Amino acid sequence: MNAHPTPFAPRSRQRRLREGLVIAIFRAATYAVLLAGGGVFADILIKGSRTVFQAEAPFINTTFLFSAPESLHVFEWEGRRREMGDREFRAFREREPGAADVRAESFVYSAGGIWPCIAGTLLLVAGAMTLALAVGVSSAVYLSEYARDGRFIRFVRLAILNLAGVPSIVFGLFGFGMFVIFFGWNVSLLAGWFTLAFMVLPVVITASEEALKAVPQGLRAAALALGATRWQTIRTAVLPYALPGILTSSILGIARVAGETAPIMFTAAYVVRDRLPWEVERAVDFLFQGVMALPYHIYVVSSKIPQNEYTERVQYGTAFVFLLLVALVAAASILLRNRLRSRLRW
Amino acid sequence: MPKTAASSSPIVEIRDLDFCYGPVQALHAVNLAIPARQVTALIGPSGCGKSTLLRCLNRMNDLIEGARVVRGSIRIHGIDIHAPEVDVIELRKHVGMVFQKSNPFPKSIYENIAYGLRLQGVRDRARLDAVVEQSLRGAALWDEVKDRLHQSALGLSGGQQQRLCIARTIAVEPEIILMDEPCSALDPVATAKIEELIQELRARYSIVIVTHNMQQAARCSDQTAFFYLGRLIEHAPTRDIFTNPANSQTEAYVSGRFG
Amino acid sequence: MPAPDSRPHLLARRRLRFLGLTPDDAIRAFFGGNAVVAVIVLALISYFLVREGAGFFGQNRRNLEVYRLAGLEFVDHLRAQEEGHTALTRRLSELRLQAFDRLSRGGADAEAAERALVGFDAYADRFGVAIDPLRALGSELGDVATAIKTKFVVNEDRKEERRQLSAEGRTAEAERVEVMPIDFAAAVKPLLAARDRHREVNRALAAELTSLLVAAPAPPVPELRESLERFGAEVRAYVSELPAIERRLETWDQSRPVSLGEALRAFLFGRQWLTASFWQDWYGLLPLLTGSLLVAGVALILAVPLGVGAAIYVNQFASTREQRVVKPAIEFISAFPSVVLGFFGIAVLGEFLRQVSHVPWLDWVPGFPFSERLNVLTAGCLLALIAVPTIFTLAEDALNNVPRALPEASLALGASRLQTTLRIVFPAALSGIISAVLLGLGRVIGETMVVLLCAGNRIAIPDFTQGLGVMVEPVHTMTGIIAQEMGEVVRGSIHYRALFMVGLVLFLLSLGINFLAQRILRRYRLAPA
Repeated sequence: MNAHPTPFAPRSRQRRLREGLVIAIFRAATYAVLLAGGGVFADILIKGSRTVFQAEAPFINTTFLFSAPESLHVFEWEGRRREMGDREFRAFREREPGAADVRAESFVYSAGGIWPCIAGTLLLVAGAMTLALAVGVSSAVYLSEYARDGRFIRFVRLAILNLAGVPSIVFGLFGFGMFVIFFGWNVSLLAGWFTLAFMVLPVVITASEEALKAVPQGLRAAALALGATRWQTIRTAVLPYALPGILTSSILGIARVAGETAPIMFTAAYVVRDRLPWEVERAVDFLFQGVMALPYHIYVVSSKIPQNEYTERVQYGTAFVFLLLVALVAAASILLRNRLRSRLRW
Repeated sequence: MPKTAASSSPIVEIRDLDFCYGPVQALHAVNLAIPARQVTALIGPSGCGKSTLLRCLNRMNDLIEGARVVRGSIRIHGIDIHAPEVDVIELRKHVGMVFQKSNPFPKSIYENIAYGLRLQGVRDRARLDAVVEQSLRGAALWDEVKDRLHQSALGLSGGQQQRLCIARTIAVEPEIILMDEPCSALDPVATAKIEELIQELRARYSIVIVTHNMQQAARCSDQTAFFYLGRLIEHAPTRDIFTNPANSQTEAYVSGRFG
Repeated sequence: MPAPDSRPHLLARRRLRFLGLTPDDAIRAFFGGNAVVAVIVLALISYFLVREGAGFFGQNRRNLEVYRLAGLEFVDHLRAQEEGHTALTRRLSELRLQAFDRLSRGGADAEAAERALVGFDAYADRFGVAIDPLRALGSELGDVATAIKTKFVVNEDRKEERRQLSAEGRTAEAERVEVMPIDFAAAVKPLLAARDRHREVNRALAAELTSLLVAAPAPPVPELRESLERFGAEVRAYVSELPAIERRLETWDQSRPVSLGEALRAFLFGRQWLTASFWQDWYGLLPLLTGSLLVAGVALILAVPLGVGAAIYVNQFASTREQRVVKPAIEFISAFPSVVLGFFGIAVLGEFLRQVSHVPWLDWVPGFPFSERLNVLTAGCLLALIAVPTIFTLAEDALNNVPRALPEASLALGASRLQTTLRIVFPAALSGIISAVLLGLGRVIGETMVVLLCAGNRIAIPDFTQGLGVMVEPVHTMTGIIAQEMGEVVRGSIHYRALFMVGLVLFLLSLGINFLAQRILRRYRLAPA
């Protein structure tokens, strides 16, 4: 036994244990978050896949994906429980004389599919992102390439930061007040586009600025020293190299746009609409029509109709399709961006 | 080549130049005449203002916030380059610049060289081809890259990239070329090649080079100007500066006693 | 080749100009214009919220004026008295429940317990019916007041109809629309005349209650003695309040004008949000605000430890490989659409939490067990999942921004990694972490779909008297009420404007939170190393 412990002796066991425990708690917090997220994801995916996939070829439930919602009628017929969509039920009653007064339980939206919602969401997102990218990238170009730090620019940046914190429902109210009422566009694609575009604007600006800043100063200096004007420099020596970054980061904005319900509730979304968006008589009508949208449809089917085995299919199916769409976009964005970050070090 | 004035006649005249970055004065009353068709080296310890002066000559300092000429003038061919009727774009075409860190565009070698002409709206393929070849030959790079003109310039070695930048600069036919420590990031072999190139270029261009490397200044410049704390201490033919400096600070610096 | 003789040309300006602008200036102006869009949008949001919402105060003032003119306010004083009594009756039935519980636990069967409570029940019944005369009076006067209000509303409708008709040029028809001016002062005479009756009723009530107190039964179980004594004190307090109500009726002034400030206070500090009511509509912010804050509070209690803990772990202790998996995964969670989370809450989480609350050994948790599957807790859990990625990402950034020299110095002094993290890195990043938490709060308060679907949507100030049990009450929120009611209101109506006012409050709240977050971040930021 040594009277003096060596100076490099390991610390006491107890202290090490305590440290290990604290770190383990932090670690547990991390994995608790992942577990919660994973749990939600898995629940929707597993239960939803029962609606979207099927055992026989083509393995995907095309009716669900590519037809419009209908009411589901459930009734007893000749000792068997039958489930039929609207049209089928009507045809059935005409065919079967005894069925005219059959008592059926009806569940709205629980049969058919969600094709109009998918189409509406895609249209909404495409338009909103086009607008947001055009304004957002231009704005970022100004902030990163032209602007010099001054009181005004600080004010603009403050506005962008604050815009990012405005609740989505407030954007909804604003869009309703300005586009739907003041401009008289009614509930329409156009109103939805602008509302959503303004909402993601801060995301797009921030992402674009980051991408522009990542382009090395040397390229700008080289172009300017060769006699390029400011705009030529931006067009030929900055934007082309920033564009991949701008796009990948902005895709995350797409996920956000697609995922929001509150802003489109009063500006663009219809609970139900029989026609598909492109079935319009005049081209302008296209812009001024309301559409069905996946997130709003989820809201409707999860809050306005009862929960039971018949409605669960459409609820989980819609949530599945929507979550998968958004998740794919988000995952693509995150992966692309991480790859880009590691590659773009010149 | 057209006849030129006597080689001693100045192409750039700097008079009483005071220059500030915001509240900080970087240059104090600099008077300097840069002769045509010669290599002028600007030397001095870090922060002495030599790079600032270089970047004044093509007004790259305009890009820096708060940077401005407080007093004095810079004249090229007698024209004050800060005069309102001078277009900075035209000025920069006329006064080319090579940077410390080579900065080729992430494009092909060919497109890098053609960049300056394309900016000016030149579309004529034959002319572009001719200029690209001419410039690459001028920068002593043609033989090394002629088989891969359409590959990315980022695939070149550091020294080659720097020569590419020189080729890119001479493609727009400047009269003056500014070089801001062009060899500081290069190995000795690449440095030697660049120095060799500078010797060839001086026949056609007026070159101003900022360097930290005393030997480099001694080897490849005709004139040398020594700066210290934002002031021009001494300007003389290179041989005189290195063998017989008039000023004691210059002597201390070139002999390596400080800086 | 350079040509010295061409020098004037080389240095001369030769640019196209249009309206005094070179093309480059024009392009710059274009980009600058886009940069200002953010400012413009922010200004437009404020403008349209105010534009649609500002009329609220005028309308609410009118609303309150009618409330007073028609005598509804008068009758509400009586009703307050009724409600006080009802609360006391409720106390009695609670006490009975407790007594019954004790008796059955003490071994008595149901019949025996009922027998033991007979005296108590007779007492409670007598107590209950004591209010009947007052109730009758209240309902009689209520009918009078409602009639006045109905007349007023009908008249307003007619005026509107007349206005529209004459606007359309149909003057003759407009003339035929009858508008009866209402003499409010005359109309409320029956109310004022009833004050004497009210005094009598009150005297009888006070006498009855006091005599009841004297004849109070012995407590059916000894443990309730104290509770019964407290009940007696409450009744005495109630009786002593009765003259005050009489005074209030005496001094009630129908003609006292309603100020705009009163209309504002009724909104900001109003304790009721009651719409489309036959009696009187109230637009009070408090139930919604408390609901929003309560849900946000629960969410943050869950999200802050998780988010900050995860950020510390990932930034300080995780291996590079772990980092590369965890960071994108958490970012991925941030992309979950809130409506899907809300649906998950309805379909799975609500029921799950309810069942958990019924697990016997979890009885000690405040509020457990509960029966409402949609409540503050359900919404809070899901909102936490929304807030965690925000808090995590920003807190991780803040930790990342701590200059490396700091932890290195600490490690070099022989501190362990944990000590360094907790004593050096964490405090250095604290301002960033606090602002991350604030931004998380902003996110949570502004979130709509989850609270709309999962918070239970009961418009009432949650009952804070039950302590932490308040966490399992259903509530409604500011965002939720807008989303729920906006689609159903008439444009320009007071209800419509009230919703815009709620939106304005929400907007200002989010700006405030944002401002605070930036302020904290800026003030305490370390100088970059």
